[in-house]
Amino acid sequence: MFFRLLMESFRRQRRRKALAGLAILLGTTAVTAMLALATTIGDRIQQELTSYGANIVVYPAADQLEVKVGGVDIKPVPGGAYLHESDLAKLRGIFWANNITGVSPELPIHILGKTAIGADVDASATGLWFDHALSSGGAPLKTGAVGLHPWWKLAGAWPQEQHTTAQNAEAVIGATLAERLKVKAGDEIQVAGQPGNASQALTLHLTGVVSTGDAIENQILLPLNAAQTIAGTPNAVRRVEVSARTKPEDAFGRKDPDTLSAKQREIWYCRPYANSIAYQIREALPGSRAEQIRRVEQSEGTVLKRISGLMWLISAAALLAAAFAVSAAMATAILERQTEIGLMRSLGASKTTVAMLFYAEAGLLAIFAGGLGYLAGSGLAAWLGARIFATDGGVRLGSLLIPVLFPVVVTLALVVAIAGSTPAIRRALTTDPSAILRGSV
Amino acid sequence: MENPIDLETRPDCAVIALHSVTREYTGHAGTVRALDHASFSIVAGEWVAITGPSGSGKSTLVNLIGCLDRPTAGELRIDGEDVAKMSATELDRFRADKIGFIFQQFHLIPYLSALENIMLAQYFHSMTDEKEARAALERVGMGHRAEHLPSELSGGEQQRVCIARALINNPPILLADEPTGNLDAANQKIVAELLQDLHAHGHTIVMVTHDPEMAGLAQRKIALSHGKVFCHPVGGPVVSLRK
Ligand SMILES: Nc1ncnc2c1ncn2[C@@H]1O[C@H](COP(=O)(O)OP(=O)(O)OP(=O)(O)O)[C@@H](O)[C@H]1O
Ligand SMILES: [Mg+2]
Repeated sequence: MFFRLLMESFRRQRRRKALAGLAILLGTTAVTAMLALATTIGDRIQQELTSYGANIVVYPAADQLEVKVGGVDIKPVPGGAYLHESDLAKLRGIFWANNITGVSPELPIHILGKTAIGADVDASATGLWFDHALSSGGAPLKTGAVGLHPWWKLAGAWPQEQHTTAQNAEAVIGATLAERLKVKAGDEIQVAGQPGNASQALTLHLTGVVSTGDAIENQILLPLNAAQTIAGTPNAVRRVEVSARTKPEDAFGRKDPDTLSAKQREIWYCRPYANSIAYQIREALPGSRAEQIRRVEQSEGTVLKRISGLMWLISAAALLAAAFAVSAAMATAILERQTEIGLMRSLGASKTTVAMLFYAEAGLLAIFAGGLGYLAGSGLAAWLGARIFATDGGVRLGSLLIPVLFPVVVTLALVVAIAGSTPAIRRALTTDPSAILRGSV
Repeated sequence: MENPIDLETRPDCAVIALHSVTREYTGHAGTVRALDHASFSIVAGEWVAITGPSGSGKSTLVNLIGCLDRPTAGELRIDGEDVAKMSATELDRFRADKIGFIFQQFHLIPYLSALENIMLAQYFHSMTDEKEARAALERVGMGHRAEHLPSELSGGEQQRVCIARALINNPPILLADEPTGNLDAANQKIVAELLQDLHAHGHTIVMVTHDPEMAGLAQRKIALSHGKVFCHPVGGPVVSLRK
């Protein structure tokens, strides 16, 4: 009978219930979307943010501080102060190796040569990894300058380091330089060997034109191995940019590990601060200095914190709004049924029984609306994910139907519905049933 | 039934006994004394009409007897039990057991059929029994309309369903607040006959009415005026609860 009463009564007052249901639906949609984004896509945000640049830079210890103007290293290239490319694999062996998401070694060189139509070439160039498999036995990390500079725009293809031979190599050319030299993808540049060292002449095959928005547009970018060949400095690396997932810096993170007690030092070492990762890099690469690029690292942390803070705020606001809407809808719905309540009470129904009926109704509504909200929210999350994180082709819908969220969301909907209808139910039950039946209400 | 029972010597016979019952409503506009030291009793099997002008406290009295409300002062015993001493839950239980309500506005649940409305009363009392519920509808001549919704029934028919519902749990007391107030002459007659039939079968009926014709059917009239029991009809003794 209770069930029958519940079902029949549930089907009544459709408009009021639709209103309350809609409020729950919207609230749970927002919450589902936010939770889905916060849980699954949290990692993705992190990835996105870290991919917006390196946060640790490594250079030879013998070097002076790097002097960069407009993204170009203007310090004269001194002889001898190099890191070894072959050492970089050791980065895969440090304590926080798995937090290192990108490694990009650089070797700046100078190129003298001629284009196919005979124009003189006198330009800066940088040897880079484009898509290099960095491995120390385990699963290799596919990384390089392209991954660390997602904003680089390329017309054509990136050079392939496997195609580098003693006489030939691929390269891309900065848009400005390409215009000045009147070359395009498919053209060749004959590079002359430089007298006085092991430098070697070779032919650069241009595979694309790159726009970077900075001074690199005046350069040629070529595989590291080709740059080493041209400069006659095998295995040499001038500078390495490292992108690592780090813990936002706090006071402890800023401490100099050499001033800490052994125990404190160990704690410091085992936290993924940019500083401690840099410290470990220094340990791993002989003759290196590694320092964090503080600006990037910190903004990452705050952006992440702000985004998730905002998400929670929106979720809480959506739920609160839903509770108020439910409260308003239930207040009128129950007011309309005061006589019914009075009647049930006169038939011997206790307050608890009547409250149970209304709560069951609200609960049923919450389960329906919450279930729909879960689906809608998952869809919304997929859509948002695809829009916000479009760089890697978006997120598949299937991956965002997170089953664990279903009970969470339905429970939240229940809490909202029950909390929202409590004031109305309480008021209805404290009203004297005799007054209701007398017809004075 | 015409022999008056000597209540002075057998006060325990009274199924309803009021001793100096007062009910005051305190609102923002001050205190209204809706019932003022009312004392009387009603014995089992009696049919009592409560009359009086509007606002004299009739509904207040019915609600007190129906355990929907409690007196501000005085003693009210229903079927020998002191209502004031009961907890809210006990009172709910007690009401389901002892009282059958018949309302002027019928108060049938609009989304339940006639039969289900009766089964609801069974549900709140104990457990549903469809056969019994159908029998109750037959009893009031509504067996053929069991599956109809209240909106598909006339006022008189609704009132008959309401009476069937009031009877379903065999309560010792039937409380009717203007049972014919919303009915035309023809339907009033049907309901009146039904009540007469119930009375003949020994039901105790307490009925509020404005209608002199209906009041005339009762054995005894209790007139209220400004909350005071104004007049006792001949043969209706006032019962003292003190033995
Ligand atoms: N909840 C309440 N709060 C304040 N005053 C009330 C309340 N209920 C009833 N009263 C007052 O108590 C008095 C008696 O009311 P009651 O409803 O018992 O009258 P009645 O005899 O049933 O009248 P009617 O014939 O119009 O139904 C009235 O003056 C009424 O205004
Ligand atoms: Mg009245």
